[in-house]
Amino acid sequence: MSKYPLSDISRRQALKKLAVGAGAIASSGTLPGLIGHSQAQSTQPIRIGFQVHRTGIGAAYGRWYDRTTTAAVKRINEQGGINGRMVEIVAEDDGTDPKRGAEVLEKFASKHQCDVSFGTLFSHVVMGSSPRAGELKMPYFVVSEGHHVASGQLNRYTLQPGITDVKSQVEAMGPYVAKNLGKKVTMIYPDFAFGHDHRDYFSTAFENQGGEILAKIAIPPTETSFTKYFAKIPRDTEVIYHVMVGPAVLTFVKEMGEFFGPSKPAIFGFIDSLEAVDIASPGLEFLEGTYFWEGNPRYAQADQSSHDKLYRAAVGVDNNGASVTDSKDVSTYAHMFGCWETLYIIKAGMESCDYKGPADRSKLIEAVEAMSDMPLSDEHPQGAKIFNGKTHQAFGHQYISKVNGGKLELVHTTSIEDTFYEDEVDYTKQSF
Amino acid sequence: MKPAITCLASVLTLLLLSALFNPAIAHTTEQGFVLLLPTKVYIWSGVLAVLITTLALCVLPNKLSHQIFSDANLFLIKQQPVAKTIVSLLSFCILLLWLTSGLFGPHDPLKNILPLSIWTLFWMGFVVLNALLGNVWNWLNPWSGMYQLVVPKAIRENPPLRISERLYYVPAIVLLFGCTAFVLADIAPEDPLRLFWVVSVYWLTTFIALILFGDTVWLKYGEFLSVMLRAYSKLGPLQRVRHSTTHSQLRIGLPAWHLKKPLNRSMGFACFIVTLLACGSFDGLNETFWWLAKIGVNPLAFPGRSAVVGQTVAGILIASVALLVVVALCIKLGLRLVAMHYRKSGDPSTLEKQPISFRNAFAAMSVSLLPIALAYHFAHYLTSFMVNAQYALQAYSDPLNDGADILKLGQHFVSTGFLNTRDSVKIIWLTQGLAVVTGHLLSVLLAHNIALQLHKNRTQAILSQTPFAILMVGYTFLGLWLLAAPRGA
Repeated sequence: MSKYPLSDISRRQALKKLAVGAGAIASSGTLPGLIGHSQAQSTQPIRIGFQVHRTGIGAAYGRWYDRTTTAAVKRINEQGGINGRMVEIVAEDDGTDPKRGAEVLEKFASKHQCDVSFGTLFSHVVMGSSPRAGELKMPYFVVSEGHHVASGQLNRYTLQPGITDVKSQVEAMGPYVAKNLGKKVTMIYPDFAFGHDHRDYFSTAFENQGGEILAKIAIPPTETSFTKYFAKIPRDTEVIYHVMVGPAVLTFVKEMGEFFGPSKPAIFGFIDSLEAVDIASPGLEFLEGTYFWEGNPRYAQADQSSHDKLYRAAVGVDNNGASVTDSKDVSTYAHMFGCWETLYIIKAGMESCDYKGPADRSKLIEAVEAMSDMPLSDEHPQGAKIFNGKTHQAFGHQYISKVNGGKLELVHTTSIEDTFYEDEVDYTKQSF
Repeated sequence: MKPAITCLASVLTLLLLSALFNPAIAHTTEQGFVLLLPTKVYIWSGVLAVLITTLALCVLPNKLSHQIFSDANLFLIKQQPVAKTIVSLLSFCILLLWLTSGLFGPHDPLKNILPLSIWTLFWMGFVVLNALLGNVWNWLNPWSGMYQLVVPKAIRENPPLRISERLYYVPAIVLLFGCTAFVLADIAPEDPLRLFWVVSVYWLTTFIALILFGDTVWLKYGEFLSVMLRAYSKLGPLQRVRHSTTHSQLRIGLPAWHLKKPLNRSMGFACFIVTLLACGSFDGLNETFWWLAKIGVNPLAFPGRSAVVGQTVAGILIASVALLVVVALCIKLGLRLVAMHYRKSGDPSTLEKQPISFRNAFAAMSVSLLPIALAYHFAHYLTSFMVNAQYALQAYSDPLNDGADILKLGQHFVSTGFLNTRDSVKIIWLTQGLAVVTGHLLSVLLAHNIALQLHKNRTQAILSQTPFAILMVGYTFLGLWLLAAPRGA
């Protein structure tokens, strides 16, 4: 299993507690074999099964999710753990595969005796694992960003309290784009579910703002050359909304730059396209002056909060969003904060319900469902959030940044209310 | 084919689920930078280099062709059977340590010594190193020492079973196929516990096979790692050549010089080499947009290995059979050209020569594919090795993942920064490309040399290898294209 080292201080504290406990047992004459169940539990660590994308297509994210998780657990343990118990991460690779994901949850429950499971990013793994979490009655805290949780497709044991979902992210962009960039938008997106969601969520939100979608240009997923699609962009387009993903995205940006030259319309994209890519890379000069949604501003801003500063230092990320040991190793900063925040929510939930062990799993879920306001803090460095206990989904601020001098400069922060949409499910009505 | 239909149905179901439930984004990989490079220019330059070399060989005097692979004597080495046994036993002890880690160590495959040692240090690194150094695997394999130690001399000298010569290399081919299927199709080949069982069972069954058939026979004709490593080691510039019962001679020459002589190669060995190349090539092809489109998978939303197990296994099989057929056809066509030339010219000098049988030609010429297979192995795994070797270093410094720092690494984060800039990606790609082109150049030289010796008539030799040379030029394109193609799995 993956164990995380205690700091010297917490190690000493732990030893002190053990010594006190041993002394009490000795003085009362109780034999070790007769230690009560709850007493034994209190000295055992809280075991959190970390379903991590170590291999497969999610491995690049998995590396940073692991690094963030390590940092968060180290800090939680330095602060005394959860209910006085140390936290132990049991990491298992899901191979970014739904079937393997379900197997991993099974191992967490039956082999590793984990209290909860957490950490999944890719939606198809969440979709494949969640039913098993329900069967195992294992709380499953995902950090996926997908709308699958709030859509009602999953179950009461699956929660997404530490990161917002794509529906709220996309819909919250509508007002800013309409008010600041232009009223006539052409959307360019990959022709599959991910792109279709952007198309549907954004066009609805944008049209509600009085905007007009001039064209919806769907790019086949296997496409690696894009110039022919740019010719389809209507001439009176004021804003291009793009959300390309995959290996050809840099080619997309380069060819868009060559197509438009200096007289480009306003361009708005999602950082998902360029997550972990240095914006100042040669060939991406065309991005200068364009706008991006960011889940969490990659570059430390002039008014950086003390919470972001602490979080960056703990994970080992510099002011440009890269690793402190390699300035070229750019992090997945827009997403990985979700691991940090989710772990603190698990801690808060367990402390709130006085969690003792697996028998209290339903109490833990109810405790998290009862949460609502999560203020900006060291535990929530990305920003304040409001958790919707009925839909098991967190809502929070979204960030819009502009590329300026090869860096992303924050120009707008949405309100949390901008991200709300009608509830699509009430998981609290489902029995355990 | 019910399983195929089931697999297809699974893929379609997952795609449908993906469409319904909004998958998370796919990650922009380092392939993005590769796509920005002028890889078309690089690819055609590489193809041209191989083509020009092939044409140049047609006019190169035979003597010079032979001289290319000439070798020189360095010194005599005394054979050390006891030391060899000790080294093998040490190797076995190291394997036991790895296995212990697989059983009791961290569950995370990037923190556990077993998967990092097996897949990164051994499969990606040692295979190449062994080829460069000569067959050190002969000493390092974890069976020979135990075999010498625990198996009675009587059994060693007279193993209870014999493997028919006709079946030589058949177990190795089957095991190679099985290993490739495990690497490419299994949903968790890096899982420490899973790997513990696979490696343990493989070690044990191989050891039993050694007892039954004898170590020399099984390691030479049955155990696929030994067959593969020995074959690759023939490409190294330094070779030990048997001198006497107690001494070997260390000789040096251009890489692959040791393969220049078309000795009595077996069909089984030739088939093994072709399968090796096919498996290596498919381990690359299966990640491309092209392949994913062929099996109906969206490359930007890869549904996971479990959805394509059937397709992957079928792909390995099809690639192996297809390459065997193509190579065989090239050889056959070459011999047909020779026969036609013989009939047309009526050259009395050719009348004296015995026609080369297809069997002999196939067995001899296929060996020349080895440099291509090794070069592609190196190129394909280079970036994975560069990343995972860092994890391996970390794991050896902290084998129990309890915060130890045995190697005094200090604050050490694994980095993939070198895959995040155009300049470094360009250097890496060109290194991979250079390896692939060098492998093909060596193969072309080797094939020409072997053909000259097989036919002993220049025109016949050139005619016989023409289709084979075209295959190699085409394979250069394929190898470089695989490095440049967008990948989605």
